[in-house]
Amino acid sequence: MTEFADMRTVYGETLLKLGDENSNIVVVGADTTDSLKTKPFGKKFPNRFFNVGIAEANLVTMAAGLANEGKIPFASTYAAFLPGRCVDQIRNAIAYPSRNGKNGLNVKMVVSHGGLSVGPDGGSHQQIEDIAIMRVIPNIKVFVPADTVSVEKLTRLFTQVYGPCYMRLARSKTPVIHSKEQEFQMGKGIVLRDGSDCTIVACGITVSIALEAADSLKQEGISCRVIDMFSIKPIDSEILEKAARETGGIVTCEEHNVMAGFGSAVTETISETYPVLVKRIGVKDQFGESARDGEIPLLLEKHGITSIHISNAVKSIRSQTR
Amino acid sequence: MALNYYHIFKKVKEARKLVIKGITVAGSGHPGGSFSMAEILGCMYFKFLNYDPKNPLWDDRDRLVLSKGHASPGLFSNLAVAGFFAKSEMETLRKFGSKLQGHPDFKCPGVEFCGGSLGLGLSFSIGMALAARIDGKNHHIYTIIGDGESDEGQVWEAAMTAPKYKVDNLTVFLDRNFIQQDDYTERVMPLDEELVGDDISEMWKNAARWKVGDKWRSFGWNVLEIDGHRIEQISKAVNSALQTKGTPSIIISRTIKGKSVEHMEDNPKWHGVAPNSQMSPIIDLELDCQFLISPSIIAGDMMNLENEVKRASLARADFIHLDVMDGVFVPNKTFDHEKIKQLRPITPIPFDTHLMITEPVKHVKNYVDAGSDIITVHAEVCNESSFGEIHDILRSNSVSVGLAINPDTDLPQWSEKFIPDLDQLIIMSVIPGKSGQKYIESTHEKTQRIAKFLSEQKFDGLIEADGGVDLTNVESCFFDGARVFVGGSAIIGQKDVRSTIIEFRKKLMHARRKLLINKAHSLGGTDLVKKWIDLHEVGKKKTELLQIAQEAGFT
Repeated sequence: MTEFADMRTVYGETLLKLGDENSNIVVVGADTTDSLKTKPFGKKFPNRFFNVGIAEANLVTMAAGLANEGKIPFASTYAAFLPGRCVDQIRNAIAYPSRNGKNGLNVKMVVSHGGLSVGPDGGSHQQIEDIAIMRVIPNIKVFVPADTVSVEKLTRLFTQVYGPCYMRLARSKTPVIHSKEQEFQMGKGIVLRDGSDCTIVACGITVSIALEAADSLKQEGISCRVIDMFSIKPIDSEILEKAARETGGIVTCEEHNVMAGFGSAVTETISETYPVLVKRIGVKDQFGESARDGEIPLLLEKHGITSIHISNAVKSIRSQTR
Repeated sequence: MALNYYHIFKKVKEARKLVIKGITVAGSGHPGGSFSMAEILGCMYFKFLNYDPKNPLWDDRDRLVLSKGHASPGLFSNLAVAGFFAKSEMETLRKFGSKLQGHPDFKCPGVEFCGGSLGLGLSFSIGMALAARIDGKNHHIYTIIGDGESDEGQVWEAAMTAPKYKVDNLTVFLDRNFIQQDDYTERVMPLDEELVGDDISEMWKNAARWKVGDKWRSFGWNVLEIDGHRIEQISKAVNSALQTKGTPSIIISRTIKGKSVEHMEDNPKWHGVAPNSQMSPIIDLELDCQFLISPSIIAGDMMNLENEVKRASLARADFIHLDVMDGVFVPNKTFDHEKIKQLRPITPIPFDTHLMITEPVKHVKNYVDAGSDIITVHAEVCNESSFGEIHDILRSNSVSVGLAINPDTDLPQWSEKFIPDLDQLIIMSVIPGKSGQKYIESTHEKTQRIAKFLSEQKFDGLIEADGGVDLTNVESCFFDGARVFVGGSAIIGQKDVRSTIIEFRKKLMHARRKLLINKAHSLGGTDLVKKWIDLHEVGKKKTELLQIAQEAGFT
């Protein structure tokens, strides 16, 4: 039986622990602190918790000011309102300021409600452009974790590594994929299944969909490598080059516009190291729409983000390259 | 502590010159907004801010965030004057590889915020202020925002946030110069009231139309409203902000875009344009020719000096000239330090105390303690040692240092070593002792001679003309080299002090225009004169300049 867990709850609990260990950690929210589960941090550390109301530009820039003075601010709200609304503030107040070899200010932007799986709130809230926005801004590191283990480890890692970081959490509970012992490094992907016929690289909730596809392809005698690429920037070009060389084709999966997003990042890397055919599973340059919780799989299906679509992409690569 | 008036005044002038130098060499940049906040930055860097140019990231330093980042030349020039880097580096402004980027950047030591995108600085400052509070630090955060910048919604997000968190370690200046890139602010997006007609000065004159202070007040801020070019008003407001607990303060500073360079003043065109390099020596001279009016209150009702100070103050005098006579050095007696102490609370305008007393070294501390900002003593009653002592007492109390000479005295030999550090030299043009005497004509020649000598001696203070100065001779005094003008019966003795001071300023303006046109002619003949005049687009300046040129035969 697969265990499901809530990313936001784990994020909030991890912050609480980290707050005890490191007094420089501060949390800034924008009227979504209940939803992002940062409220308990505010209860425990009222002097290090700031709720600025529905004012994301202010949220992001105040976090930059705090970081400038040596604090480690976690700025959190929904994906649609942070990268979506504040690209100027993120670029100019967080990413740009650099001195003494420190590139950008040490703000940790952790958002929830990324991608189509936001569900009922509809297209306005389903941010499918954030990976693209964030990865083109110099100095910012971009992460899309697949499960709660990843969230805990990355949140902790954020407090240990200097620099502006972005992490996108899912709204819904996600299956636990990684073991508690799994190590996470920035810029290193994790091979979840080895295989030799094709490689599926995924991030966020699509990792578990990719695993499903690999399992079903295995039944058909196709051996797929599956990589959790939670670190989109920096990207693990080594693991990608190896996959290209050893398996001959790559399918990327993301809950994001396929343009300029994760699939694009993989393609850019592969095309410069070991060009093979790459097929991108993701949103095809269109907006999402409302879907109730039980209907989210239908919404994903409409946009071609299912294990069947992944399997078909794998097969198509194999037929084209043979 | 006194104002340290001349100290700031000189630094502001030096910084303005560096702005012109930098922008002219770069061929682009923003002079207008650099000059509107020049006095604010001068007060910040040379009076209030705690910093160490050798250790720019010193933890306990005060922080100044320039949110209106396009005015970076104004910031860079102050940082250069403050010693964060060599002044010569101003010439690398906007150049490839320079630390002086088009907008403030951490590449430049002393810069606290990477500006450029407007509307961000206040939020950033709140973050800084909150961090200081968490760490129990006592440093202060100062932020300069623009009025055009206030169109940005984020400014108002931050405006709501700072009072919520009671960040009283934050003080904001609004550089209210009424001009943004496209046009007057009140036409693009009114902060006060929509501008009807074309006369920007209407906005200045009518305080009933000023609404922006109410906006901030309603957000919970401690609001102070000042003339942002008056060192004493800035200083008073900052002191009051620093004492205000429990809420942040904003100092709404009414300023003039391009202030101190007449053709740039109030002209939206000079928001972001570089002057032609041919013009920079003329502009430099203009910056050297700022003038000040110092009404002498003893020309009024001696029984009610309080009222005379009020009259001078309402008339917007630059200084209040206080003639202290002891009945020994001069035959008359006026008042002493006790009176000055009583007058001090009436106005923040600098007290320009002129001690006509014997043995000033014995008494000078009393006049410091009474609240003088500038103290001038007579050369006739000093020697090298006593003046050295006076100088040290004044400097250590931030009082500006003046030396005076009577009509029949010349600068004594011993005074020469003090000249480069002297703030003010009073050249008396009447025998001191009473008000209402006639100007001694030979003083013109004497002043010219001394002015020439002083400039060779690296004097960077101002010559003050004192005695019999009136509307008929103030222009010639200006041409002699005087820049501060004491007016006794010619100002305080008049019924309408305010109009009289305006008349004085008009005369001096006329004299300055003449001087600059002569300069233009000497540099580039009638061609440059014409180009110079053509720069003066706003108001009636051009007509007067043309007339001056015609009279001089330069057309």
